[in-house]
This record gives sequence, C-alpha cells and structure tokens, in this order.
Amino acid sequence: MKRKFFDLLFRTATCLCVVFSCAVLLAIIGFIVKQGSSAVSRAFLTGEITGAGASGGIFYNLVGTGILLATTFLVSAPTALSIALLHGVYLRNYRHREKITILLYILNGIPGILFGIVGLVVFVQWFGWGKSWLAGGILLGFMILPTVSVTLIERIASIPRKYIEAAAGLGLRQSEIVRSVILPQSAGGLATGLLLGLARAAGETAPIMFTATIFAGATIPNGIRENPVLSLPYHIFILAQDSYSPEVNSRLWAAALVLVILVFAMSIVALPARLKIHEEADHG
Amino acid sequence: MDKSVLRTENLSVSAGKKSILNPVSLKIPGDGVFGIIGPSGAGKSTFLKTLNRLCELTPGLQINGQVFHRGVPLYHHGVDVDALRKRVSMIFQQPVVFPTSIFANVIFGVRHTETIPKKDWPDLAERALRQAALWEEVKDRLKKPGKELSIGQQQRLCLARSLATDPEIILMDEPTSALDPGSTEAIESLIHQLKKQQSIILVTHNMRQADKVCDLVAFIGLQDGTGTLLASGSLDELRSRNNIPGFEDYLCCE
Amino acid sequence: MGKAAKLPKHNRFCAIKAASWFFTSLAFVAVTAGLILLLVESIPVWRHSGLEFITGRNWFYRAREFGALPMIYGSLQVAVIAILIAAPIAVGAAIFGTEFLSGRLRIGLKIVIELLAGIPSVIYGLLGILLLRNWVYDSMESLDILSGDTLLTAGILLAVMILPTIMTLADDALQSVPRAQRMAARSLGLTATETAINISLRGAFPGLIAAVLLAMGRALGETIAVFLVVGRQDNQLPESLFSFQPLVESGQTLTSKLGGSETNIAYGEPLHWGAMLGLGILLMIMVTALTFAGLGLQNLARRKNET
Repeated sequence: MKRKFFDLLFRTATCLCVVFSCAVLLAIIGFIVKQGSSAVSRAFLTGEITGAGASGGIFYNLVGTGILLATTFLVSAPTALSIALLHGVYLRNYRHREKITILLYILNGIPGILFGIVGLVVFVQWFGWGKSWLAGGILLGFMILPTVSVTLIERIASIPRKYIEAAAGLGLRQSEIVRSVILPQSAGGLATGLLLGLARAAGETAPIMFTATIFAGATIPNGIRENPVLSLPYHIFILAQDSYSPEVNSRLWAAALVLVILVFAMSIVALPARLKIHEEADHG
Repeated sequence: MDKSVLRTENLSVSAGKKSILNPVSLKIPGDGVFGIIGPSGAGKSTFLKTLNRLCELTPGLQINGQVFHRGVPLYHHGVDVDALRKRVSMIFQQPVVFPTSIFANVIFGVRHTETIPKKDWPDLAERALRQAALWEEVKDRLKKPGKELSIGQQQRLCLARSLATDPEIILMDEPTSALDPGSTEAIESLIHQLKKQQSIILVTHNMRQADKVCDLVAFIGLQDGTGTLLASGSLDELRSRNNIPGFEDYLCCE
Repeated sequence: MGKAAKLPKHNRFCAIKAASWFFTSLAFVAVTAGLILLLVESIPVWRHSGLEFITGRNWFYRAREFGALPMIYGSLQVAVIAILIAAPIAVGAAIFGTEFLSGRLRIGLKIVIELLAGIPSVIYGLLGILLLRNWVYDSMESLDILSGDTLLTAGILLAVMILPTIMTLADDALQSVPRAQRMAARSLGLTATETAINISLRGAFPGLIAAVLLAMGRALGETIAVFLVVGRQDNQLPESLFSFQPLVESGQTLTSKLGGSETNIAYGEPLHWGAMLGLGILLMIMVTALTFAGLGLQNLARRKNET
C-alpha cells in the first residue's frame, strides 16, 4: 500500500511540475497580450518613435530589427552551410568532425554580452564604424551559428544513405552528389535552423547594445560608418528602465507583444521539423 | 473447475485501425512448458505480453477480450497490475541487464517490491543464481558489473533476477534467439529444471527447441496479415493433423 | 550524429568544397581572434592587480582598484538560486513527460517548452522589472529590504528562463535510457514510479547533471534580464556565504557590470578597460568550464546507455 501511495504521490508531484511550466507560459503570454494588445494598432506599427516612447510607433524599430536579421541571415547561412558540409561530407575523420561539434557547443555557450564587448573593440573602435547595423548583423550571425549549423548537421546526417549510394552508383562525382543530393535534401534543415537562429537573434539585446543600435533618431541606414539602427529589443530594454508614465507603459507592452509575436511566429514555423528531428532521434 | 493457470477469451490486439492479433481463446495448463510457435511477425510476442499486461506500456495498442488467471479476470478495474507482473514475470529476447553489479541485478526486483531484510539478500541471491545455474560462474565476482558477463550468462542473470521474486509463471520471449548454441542448451536444460516449480510459457520459432522443451504448443500464424491462433495441442498432435493452414509451410521452412 | 555519408573521392578542384573550407576557417579564425583579443586587451589589469583581480573585494575604478570577487559572488549566487528553483521543477516535468505521457500530450509539452525557451530575455527582464520586483519587495517586507532589485529577484527570474533549457536536456537524457530496461523493471513488478527512479533517473543521472551544468552556464552568461532586476550595486560581498540577508540586497554580476554604462566609460583607459575585459574572461572561463563538464558528462551518459 505504501508503494501505491508513493506511486500516486510521485505522479502527482511530477504532473504538477508540468502544470506549473504550462501555467508560467500561459501567464506570461496572457499578461503581455492583456497589457499590450490595446496599444497595438496600424498607427503604432507604422509610426515613428516620438516623445521618448510616450507617443508614436515602432516602425523604424521593426525596420531596424529587420535589417539586423537580414544581415544575420547573410552572415550565418553560408557559414553554417560550410560548417555542416565540412562536417557531414568533406571531413572523413571522426575525431575532426567531433572537434567541430565541440567548438560549436562552446561557441553556443559564449554569453551574448561577450560578443558585444568584442564587437565594441573591433567594429566600433578599430574599424571606426561607430555604431553600425553591419556590426550588429555580423555579431548576431556568429551568435546563432551553432544553432543553424547543428540543425543542419543533424539534417545531413539523416539523409537516407541509399540516396547517396544510388547517386554514387550512377557514377556521379562527389561535387555532383553534393549539388544534386545533399544540398536539396538538406535545404529544409537549413531553413529550420535559420528560423530558429533568427528567432533567437531577433530578441537579443546584449550583443547589439554597444555596437549597432540606439534608442531614437535613426531611420534607414545609408552606409556603414556611424549608421546605427533602431531595434525592438533595445527599445524595450531602454523603456523598461524608466517607464513610469502609463502612456509609455502601454506602448512598452505593445512593443513587447510585437516582439513576442515575431519570435513565436518564426519558432512555430520551425517547430514541426524540430519536433520531428527530436522524435526520430528518440526512436533511432 | 477450470484447471488452467491462464485462459484467454477472445483476446485481440490492434494498433489504431490495424489489427495485430485476431481474437484468441486459449487455455494454458499450469504444469509443464507451454510453447507458442509460428512465423516471425505473427504477433507471438504481443500475445505473450498481454498475459501480464506488459503490452499496455506500449503506447497505441488496444487490447480487447479477457485473460483469466486461475479464473480471475486480469483486464479489470482494480487489478493490481504491478503485483500481477511480479507473479507473471518476463524474460526478453535480448537479455536486459541493468547497468549495475551482478548482485544488484539479481536482487533488483526483491529489493524494490518486497520487504525482505537486507541481511537476507545474499542468501536469496545465491539461491536464485543457483536455480539459474549461474552461481558457480559468478560467485567470486558478484560486485562486478552485470554487463561484463557473456551474453548467455546475461540471459541466465535475467532469469535469476526473475526467479528471485519467486514468480508463479515465467513468460519467455524467444530467450535463446540471441545466444550461441552452448548457451541455448544451458537455457533449455534450465527450462527443464524450472518447470517443476514454475509454469513456463515460451515463445519460440525454433521447432527443434519446441520439440525439446514444450509439452503443449499453440500455433499462431498469419491470416491476411493478422496474427491468428490456428491450432493448439501437443506437437505430435499438430503434426498428425493436416488441416492447419500454414503449418506445413512453417515446418518445412524452419 | 550519424556516420558521414561515404562519397567517392576525387581530386579535382571543387568550388563548394573550397568555399566550405574558406567560410569555416574564416569563422574559426574570427572567433579565435575575438577570444585572443579579450585576453590581450585585459593584460593591463593582470599586470596591475595580478591574482588580486580575482580575490579583491573592492572595485573603485577612479582609485584604480579592481577586485572582481563581489561580481563573481553575485554571478554564482544568482545562478545557484536559479538552479535550485528550476532544476527540481524542470526535471520533474521532464520525468512526467517521458515516463507518463505519450503521443499528443507529449508533443504538446514539447511545444510548451520550445515556446518558453523562445521568449527573449529582454521580455523576461521586462516582466521582472514590472512584476517580480514588486512581488519580491512585498513578500520580503519583513526583512526590511530597500528595494525589489535583489540577487534573489534575479535568481528567480533566471530560474524561469533556464527552466526550458533544463527540461529539454533532461528530456533527452531520460529518452536515452533504453526502453527495454524500463520494460524489464516493470515486468519484475516495479511500479512506474519505482522504475522512473531506479531505472530512468539512475540511468540518466550523468545526463541530468549535464543538463544542470549547461543551464548554469546559460544562467551565468545571461545579461539583459539580470541587468534589469539585480540592482547593480558594486562591492556587495557578504561576510558569510550562507546567510540569507545578502540575497535580498542589491548586487552586481559579471554580466550586469559588463552590460552597464561603465563599459562605455572604460574604453580608452587601458587599465580600466583591461579590468572590464578581465571580467569578460572570468565569465568566459566559468561558462566554458561548465560547457566542457556538461559535454563530458553527456558523453559519459551516452557510452553508459549504449549496448
């Protein structure tokens, strides 16, 4: 009887952990929606920032975040693809491939703020760019490199061997197999990885706060030097620190809501592929 | 009075829309070794796992019908499934040795399901290992990891682990298919020994083994892709009948 | 990770291969250069303070006094609070997910985890500054605290943030314990709970510890959310490590210091800048050590669960 009771107790306790986690998510989303939805409007999304966040909208913040993400994409896509091809195709030695994976995990662990600090020295000071969108994009690109590469590596590893063997049987050369089998087969993995990575990059503040983004007074950049952008996370970060007027408050939550929607949209598109990879890994 | 130890009544298994096992009604007597033979993929293992409700742990399987254990229905609200599985223990195709010492493996079930004082564990382990004919080989290295044993020894270790909890029935799911001939022989002669105390239900697709150890058998074959009970009785009886669909094919291909 | 696809060898120059090597090397060189830069630029402070940079209790940059200990303390403290709160809940939820849920519900739980992990840290920071801070202030009133910006607040906030990290990794660890072992335990008559504890948890133990270490690395490196609620009070090092009071006072972590305005002031003054980068190196060492330990344990767990 004691055993049955303990069994029930354990089930209940662990179930409560799940309930708690779900409740936290629902509470966070619910709260942001409740606080922010009233201030989200067409004018808010298309208006310029005015009055230090107390009025106006977040148009150029969206544009800025978009520019940063586009740059991040351009930096991380070819690099991640290169790393994954090297890992999955060109490197034959198991030890070398493992080294790549370990380096990626270490890179993944490096805190965002350190990217910001290094970026401050290199781009802002040495290159003399001041705050520039390009610096932010490059830093974010490096930051999400592990996410994109590892997703892609998993995808390439799961390409059925028979495809490759069939192509080899047709007498195709390595480069032709890469082009005709591996690249098309892994395109989905690249897209998933990029979506996941960009979802993360969209919300990052630490790497860009010293290097790429300002609170107000920037529009569309027309060069590299001294060409910062506005961005959504930095906007929230600054307003969060001194937000006591209710006007600012509702706009602050509205910006938070927009950011969360942006990030969730990207993660949700990537979700099916991600869950599939995981479940496959569970059964294989 | 029903003398069978286990009796199934219209017991069927399906996974979603796909039927895996057509309704089986079968009496399994308590003495001796009862064999379940048939081609692979016919649902023999699934049938075996319904007998201690282990198949319920595989998500997506629906079980209909009933199993009676000495007249008591098993698929019934209020049945203590864990206690049932302790009485009706199972040996798997691949030996499943836990990543711990030989000794800890043997007493694993006892230590968690019974309140036997710790000081009695060594005696109990020795008894179980002797029953499984493994004692002489491992008595000097009980603290060594179970995984260090040969695969045949591992299977006997699993048997000892089950025997330690003194089950009434032991279900064996092709226990020798992963083993070399020597180890197979060891397990087979063990089955001969054990059947004096325990009821044994043995899934095998090896006719030589069925001939050697089984007193009665049930033949489960495939009909339209679904496992179906096609005949039961002694092997000689089955051989003498010539109207069992698929049985001759099965015999000649074995 | 599966085996690499075996492709026929050939010797001709291949553009894709060359480009792969080029971009990978470029990335490798860039990251390595970044790390070297951290080291080189921090040299002045090591010259100036030596190991006292790590053990020093005071940070007054105008007096050219640089001691990082209060920030190391702050970082470790918030990370430990976060782990203490998050680990039991996350592991519990992961156990429920692997042992008691299947099919759609399990997928549902995974989606919840993914979404929770996706919320940007600045949003957590915002929630912390507008909700958690007041909550901590109100509920700790009896302790006579000055504000809601405390190490405890940061720790609680981090706990929520690393919850999904631990859950995902713990789930992977539990999944890697072979199903056959669970079946064997159940067929001996163990209850689901006894099986979860004696087979799954025990088998996954190194993996679970790895999950906690990797999550702790993440907690140490988290900047924005901590920055917003930790109070950023320099030179807060308690006499005793085990008293509660310092936790409900403002503090400073390595990351909140690096994320603050002092970073902008420091550049151009080599010693001060070196001190800031020194903090970065300490952070890097702590995080990387945890990453290595976590990966090592994961490797161990994988080998343990093979065969």
